Amino acid sequence: MQQVFNFPAETSILEKIGNIAADLGSKIGFSEIEIGDLQLALDEVCSNTIIHGLKQNPALNFKMVINLQADEIEILIHESGATFNLEDIKQPDINAPLEERPIGGLGIFMAHKVMDLVELHTNADGLKTLRLLKKK
Amino acid sequence: MEISEERLEKVSRVKMKGRFDAHTTGEVEKFLREIIKDGRHCIILNMHEVPFIASAGLRIVLVLARELRKEHKGDLRLALLQPNVHRVFEISGLNNVISIFRDLGTATLSFSTDIYKNPKPESL
Repeated sequence: MQQVFNFPAETSILEKIGNIAADLGSKIGFSEIEIGDLQLALDEVCSNTIIHGLKQNPALNFKMVINLQADEIEILIHESGATFNLEDIKQPDINAPLEERPIGGLGIFMAHKVMDLVELHTNADGLKTLRLLKKK
Repeated sequence: MEISEERLEKVSRVKMKGRFDAHTTGEVEKFLREIIKDGRHCIILNMHEVPFIASAGLRIVLVLARELRKEHKGDLRLALLQPNVHRVFEISGLNNVISIFRDLGTATLSFSTDIYKNPKPESL
């Protein structure tokens, strides 16, 4: 089953995306923890797209394609905003004391932790596709 | 996000209701900074009705806890986390540096006892 959504670059739609993730997680039979993980990963990558990629310009949209299989869920997020490289995002030191704890980079770090795969492709026209995969 | 403050003698308890994500962190930070500006430096976030936290929310907790400890000898402590919210603190490792309590009473008492000078979080 495939679902396609178009969302404006506004943080107000994050709650709706969270509800979609919960719905999909239930359909595939994820546990409550796995559903929470899926919600977290989707929220983080969409927040990134909205805030850093599309600069919260409500006139801009991004597309989310969800492919639901019996044993895995694949999410593709297509957007044409500012380019970035996943490898450039510093891995935060999660064992550092409070005063040395870095402020940024936690979102993508956590998405990597809770999903089986997070990868980014940029085509020749600069269109970025972020691909997330979570297996049952 | 619905947010309100209950003032005890030394401690401010802040009750939150709603998602703590990139959409709501601005209003939460503004609310907490007003409290701090008022000279209230011992703050507990009651997160019983927070069903979700994202890294944007974690950042506010991290920044304000650090400021309160360093500049005001105070702290930002958390209570009554839902299991999936607690899990986000574990994934991020912030549960090792932020004090998390199972109930409001213990969280409140922690500001009056020396044993929490170097806070050790409780696990759920």
